[in-house]
Amino acid sequence: MANLKRKRGGIATSRKLRKLSPEEDTNEEMSVIDDGEDNGSEIEEDDDEGEEEEWDGIQQRQQADNLPPFKSLKPTGEEIRVIKDATDLYRSNSFKLQIHALLPNVRPKSMYSAPLDKFLLQLHEFLFKIPLVPPKQPLEVARALLKKGVSVPYSMPLPTEDTAWKVAFDKPSDITLVGSWANKTSVKGQDKLKYGVDLAVEMPNTLFQEKDYLNGRFFHKRAYYLATIAAAIINPKTGLKNVEVSYISRSDDPRLTKLVLEPRPDGSASDFTKLNARVFIIPVLSPDCPIPLSRLSPSHSNIRITSDADSSDDSKSKLPTPLYNTAILTAFTPKSHLLSNHNLQQSCPAFNDALSLLRIWANQRGFGEGSDSHPSVRGFNGKGPWWAALLEFLILGEEPTSSSSGKGWGKAQSRKPLGRGLSSYQLFRAALDFIAKHDFVNEPVFVKTKDGHKFLPDEYQSNHEAVFVDSSSTVNLLADVPIGSLKLLSRDAQKTLETLSNTSLAGDPFDEVFLQDHRDLQTRFDAVIHVDLATVSPLEKPIHTALDAGSAQNAILFSISSLLTRALGNRASSISILHPSPSTRPLSQANPSTLPKIQIGLSYDTEHAFRQVDHGPSAASAEADPESVEKFRRLWGDKAELRRFKDGSITESVVWEVKTVDEKSHIPVMIVRHILKHHFALGEDAVHTWQAPFDSLLRLPEQISRFYVGSGMAMGFKGALGAYDNLVKSVKALDDNELPLTLLNVHPISESLRYTSVFGPVPLTPALASALPMNARYLHPIEFILEFEKSSKWPDELKAIQKIKLAFLERIGSALMAATPGLTASVVIGEGSGEESDIQDTARLEIVTPEGWAFSARIWHDREATLLDRIISGTGSLPHVTTKSAEKKSKVYHDAVRAREVYTRRFIHSPAHHRAIAKLCHHFPAFAGTVRIVKRWFASHWLLHGHISEEAIELLCAAFFVEEGWEEEVDSGESEGGENKRLRRDIPGSRERGFANVIRFLKDWKWEEGLQVPLYSPSPSLTEQDKGLSSKKAEPTTAVPGVWRIFTLRDPKGTAWTSRGPDVIVARRISALAQATWKCVRNMEESGKVNVQTMFSHPTSDYNVLVRLDSSVLSRYHHNVSPDVSLLDRRAASSKKYANEQGGVVIRPGFDPARLLFRDLQFVYTDTFRIFHDSFGSDHFGIVWDPALREPRPFKVMSRFSSLPCVVQKGTDKEKSQAKTGKGQSQKEKDLVVLNEGGVLGEVERLGKGIIKTITVHA
Amino acid sequence: MATSSSVSINGLQVLPVTYSSTSTHFIYARAHTTSKKSTNNPWPNGRTLFLVNVPPDATERDVIILLKPFGTVERIVFDSDGAEDVEAEEEDETSEDEEDEDMEGDGAEDMADENQNVAMDNSQSRKRQKTSKKKNEPPKVIPLPTKLLRKLRGTGQSAHVVFLDESSMDRCLSSLQSSSNSAKPRPWPSSSASSEIEEPSGLAHYMTLYDSLRPPLDSVREHVDSAMELYEFEVAKTKQKSKYRKGEAIVDEDGFTLVTRGGAYGQTLGGGVGVASKKFQESGEASEGRRKKRKTRKEKESFYAFQKAEKQRKELLELKKNWEMDKAKVEKLKASRKFKPY
Repeated sequence: MANLKRKRGGIATSRKLRKLSPEEDTNEEMSVIDDGEDNGSEIEEDDDEGEEEEWDGIQQRQQADNLPPFKSLKPTGEEIRVIKDATDLYRSNSFKLQIHALLPNVRPKSMYSAPLDKFLLQLHEFLFKIPLVPPKQPLEVARALLKKGVSVPYSMPLPTEDTAWKVAFDKPSDITLVGSWANKTSVKGQDKLKYGVDLAVEMPNTLFQEKDYLNGRFFHKRAYYLATIAAAIINPKTGLKNVEVSYISRSDDPRLTKLVLEPRPDGSASDFTKLNARVFIIPVLSPDCPIPLSRLSPSHSNIRITSDADSSDDSKSKLPTPLYNTAILTAFTPKSHLLSNHNLQQSCPAFNDALSLLRIWANQRGFGEGSDSHPSVRGFNGKGPWWAALLEFLILGEEPTSSSSGKGWGKAQSRKPLGRGLSSYQLFRAALDFIAKHDFVNEPVFVKTKDGHKFLPDEYQSNHEAVFVDSSSTVNLLADVPIGSLKLLSRDAQKTLETLSNTSLAGDPFDEVFLQDHRDLQTRFDAVIHVDLATVSPLEKPIHTALDAGSAQNAILFSISSLLTRALGNRASSISILHPSPSTRPLSQANPSTLPKIQIGLSYDTEHAFRQVDHGPSAASAEADPESVEKFRRLWGDKAELRRFKDGSITESVVWEVKTVDEKSHIPVMIVRHILKHHFALGEDAVHTWQAPFDSLLRLPEQISRFYVGSGMAMGFKGALGAYDNLVKSVKALDDNELPLTLLNVHPISESLRYTSVFGPVPLTPALASALPMNARYLHPIEFILEFEKSSKWPDELKAIQKIKLAFLERIGSALMAATPGLTASVVIGEGSGEESDIQDTARLEIVTPEGWAFSARIWHDREATLLDRIISGTGSLPHVTTKSAEKKSKVYHDAVRAREVYTRRFIHSPAHHRAIAKLCHHFPAFAGTVRIVKRWFASHWLLHGHISEEAIELLCAAFFVEEGWEEEVDSGESEGGENKRLRRDIPGSRERGFANVIRFLKDWKWEEGLQVPLYSPSPSLTEQDKGLSSKKAEPTTAVPGVWRIFTLRDPKGTAWTSRGPDVIVARRISALAQATWKCVRNMEESGKVNVQTMFSHPTSDYNVLVRLDSSVLSRYHHNVSPDVSLLDRRAASSKKYANEQGGVVIRPGFDPARLLFRDLQFVYTDTFRIFHDSFGSDHFGIVWDPALREPRPFKVMSRFSSLPCVVQKGTDKEKSQAKTGKGQSQKEKDLVVLNEGGVLGEVERLGKGIIKTITVHA
Repeated sequence: MATSSSVSINGLQVLPVTYSSTSTHFIYARAHTTSKKSTNNPWPNGRTLFLVNVPPDATERDVIILLKPFGTVERIVFDSDGAEDVEAEEEDETSEDEEDEDMEGDGAEDMADENQNVAMDNSQSRKRQKTSKKKNEPPKVIPLPTKLLRKLRGTGQSAHVVFLDESSMDRCLSSLQSSSNSAKPRPWPSSSASSEIEEPSGLAHYMTLYDSLRPPLDSVREHVDSAMELYEFEVAKTKQKSKYRKGEAIVDEDGFTLVTRGGAYGQTLGGGVGVASKKFQESGEASEGRRKKRKTRKEKESFYAFQKAEKQRKELLELKKNWEMDKAKVEKLKASRKFKPY
């Protein structure tokens, strides 16, 4: 029908067109034919198999005859129709084309399917020929089968010797191909999983009695039936020769065991190895079998076995068995699903494609089959019917639930069905939309049925967590799916929808939605907890739930999930259990093997996740409702205690003790650990996370930190901020006669004041310093900027401005020293590097407060910018009187450019950046931690400071937290109580996840394309012009060594923080390092063994030269990633090199000889080598020679490297004298020089005298 | 390895220098020659030696000691310190130089101490001092206290060495030419570490540097005060000299008035005439308002039927083009096997 409509539409357009251009007629007719075929392949109807070859063919032909001649011609009506379809029905042209390029790749290749058909015929025949087995005692026959190597997969409760009923085998009453293969909706699985071909073997009604629904009798009969088939197939004489047979149980539930037939390659006609498929044999029931459907409703209790302890309690034995009932019901459904799906395919042409898209999407996110390396989300194993039913629900609509309104959650009207003519993309989007918005907990779903509900809708709701009843109105397809998994699904759908609707995004969303693998745990969850299940022993062993769930293990997983949900409450937005999908097992193994371990993934709700107290029922209510108190105590065990709180209330509560801010972020994991330990006896060694190891990366070694702690000083970011506020106060307090101008503003620009420095800032007093070893006395100055009121008193010349700054600073310094006893201030006239010029802002005031905090203040004078610009543009104070630009760029010009760059960065970008980042830190608890770890990572790989600026990293990390308009959102969220804040896309809730995200991003970031970070919202302060600039991004900027581009609204060129690096070589190095680190993360994920150190230890083998520094003179050695603790001892580290200071302790804020040496070497040998160093106290430099210099090259006077004449054959003296005149062509070749490596290293050694210990040259 | 190397390269003599027993450095030397007869040539012909690839941490003293055997050195200038353009030096090495300002000439006598100053303020103030020399008694700048420090320069730098007499240089060059001499590398002075007044290196260097960058506050004050005095003095002087004075029209010799922004109310200096806005000067465009109006009046776009048809046709063509482009793009991606999700 839809097709017809479309045809008509097409004709209509072409008719219109005809009016416009009658001369096109002949041409059009021809291409209508051409496009008809094209259409057939693009809007795939029922015959989509074998599409690849055919499709390719058409595609190629089209390309061949379309592109060259058609290019200039007008499009035909038919073409216009196709194009219009693509733009209207899909997201965009290319999105449609991409979808059609993708689909053939995930479908079975039809050219290999012939052997399978042959095999299925053979199997069909074979199954009918299996000899009949008369009714016998179940255990007796099981023993008989065991002799043949087949054990019968009886499920709990197991049959006993004195069971009265019998099992038997009779030839099947019907054999049908069902499921996705029959409907041709198979979608390839990940990790080389084979396609499944479901064969429903209908067990004859004669085998069953009415009472078989009780106590697993149906499952025993089914198990025996299956075992008999298995035994027949493997029978060496009469069986099938070319298949391997094994068992597999969906969801590791022994009741859902099926037979797996995998081809054994023998080259025969029925060998379907090439198809990459396997056949499942599933015993099913006929609709008219004796087992009454009415007994299988969710509320019926069908397991009547009572242990002795329970026998007294009559109510317990009547507990409903919803999962058990569902398991029986699934034996009825395969055929009805097949039929309903087939009908859908007929009525809705895009159904197949939409289903494929949906399943690809789900597979990429772990809602499919999982493996050891990529565990899948629990509950989604074998959920093929659900995905189809989901689309069915959207297309057909909802079955009204009349009684639902009584419960209060009933909706005003039922869901409207979608149109059947929708495109695959539209259907896919609708499905995502449903998943994203649907409240699975409270709103049951009933797919439209033919003849109404079979069971009462309310029964589902009260017995299952989530309800999604199929169109046959029997099975709840989500019966065994934990609610946490569904929440995760919904979150992922939300995220994808946002990606799809975000048009401003630079990249193509197609990749993100369908092609990228999103199964990595560390980037998805805020906390990933590996649980080793080997020693699990639950506190309570309810026999009933185990029987209902099918196996003890399933029951444990159910209770882990529900207990954690209760314990974490609103701390976590989703709690997911992940484990590999069940694997095949040999026929001799009756029950599925137990899982050795699972992973638990938590997503935090950062507003609540880190609260320290959990309140239970109050003492007052305890009398009225003792049960709730009891429940609370049972949940928390000995952690629960009665406490009186400040507001006077006395409640049951759980308090989580934390010592530091770092530990606060561990509370959710602490809770999980507690619950697992209390309820499942899983101790420390069975539960692994990678939270704690990260702490040590950001902390001083215990040996040093104990001195700080012992000193009792205010430390960390809070301490630094307090000290800063005090200092600013005292600067502002200086009265007018102390300062020549009024202080307008003070801008903090230090990472220590925005929570993002790797180490918490610490003060250092002389008393403390004397207690510390020499190589741990580092005091980091905290930078800020002073802005004075505008005044005409400033000189109008750059050099004079710098002098005046000195005077200002001197004045402030003296005044501060006079005002605060114990405070020392000194004017620093520069950094002593070779790159400073006298027109550049160099002066700063270094202040050390009596409490031991070091600060560094600079003065911002905005006139500098104008003056520098004048030099750069070549105009004087009179802009139209341009001086001749023909003259060469002078030294002054280069100095001005450099000074301008420093000015812009220091006074324009820095303060704004600081404000934005500080704000981010306040609103996203995980942000600061993420930045600190990422910085540490860059530093430990010898890149931070030397090649990448801190701010660049902060921006990089911010990209994972902010989005367009976050500032307004955050602001409004504050005023409105932050209700809808979390509805936005998921933001990392823990620094570990943030770190993993950054690493994954760096791993395959194409830095040529840049990165857009919406850190600043468009505000009036940014002029129109600025906005215009930001839109045309990625324009090649000239002569900047750095290749990274991080665009913000304030920095449309994207080079504010990356102009000096990383350059191409370093950028590639970063990618490589990120890849290696990512591999490490993946390994950790798979093995569950946490080894964070390896990600932060730098490989040194690929450096040409390794310079070893003397760790006893490094002032920051205590910051080292893996310090040799013995070297941090005070006596061991008392170096003779500082001998002249043995008497009094001199504190030099910011003095780090390694850093200074590194800076000088980098400056002196810019073009000779590239040098790498971890500025956090590493005792190594790594040097890589410029490879071009190691090749001999002609001698030049200004070659900027230390050279060595090349060794040549000894010529005659005559030649030599010729060489002296130096013009001969032949001499050119002889006058070659090469890099003098030894000489350079000699110089390095001399420059680093006293700092460098040894220099190792790698061959 | 030094022994086998050729004695001269590209017309420069090789002067091997040993740092330690294992590493040897090579300095290239040549007599400095100027073809141009410029009056203020800072390098006297015949006794100036041009050195290439001087070690980055070399001080004058190091070079003087190195060349001591040949004769007395009058002065040394490291080229990267000079204001002259390095690039130019390379290009016309032989004919370099008229561009070289007078600065080198009169700064020569105290060149030695300039190089020891880390803070460049001194040299700058001297420069100012020099420019204002003609005027009587310019204020003196009190320098910041300095310490003996090495200045690091980029590697592979060049330097000019002026010997006291021509014979020393001849001796030097001839000794380098004879292969026997060059085969024996000279030790680099600082590695011999003989004298005590030597500039510190390594860790000691950095500690001295750190301390010298933080001069006592009172000396900073003195320094700044004197520097500002000088600045005021210069400003006053340039004011007197300058033609461009606020509020006065600029009239050149021929009697023409230069129209210059800077007067009050958007008028020229001295008043009378309006001046173009800054925006006009930069972009050459007046404000947009009027222009736009004119443009829009020009033509109606869908007045005739053919215009409409044409427009539609164009749109369709555009549509088709985009479609084909998308198609080609996806084809390309497909060729790179991108559409295998897993």
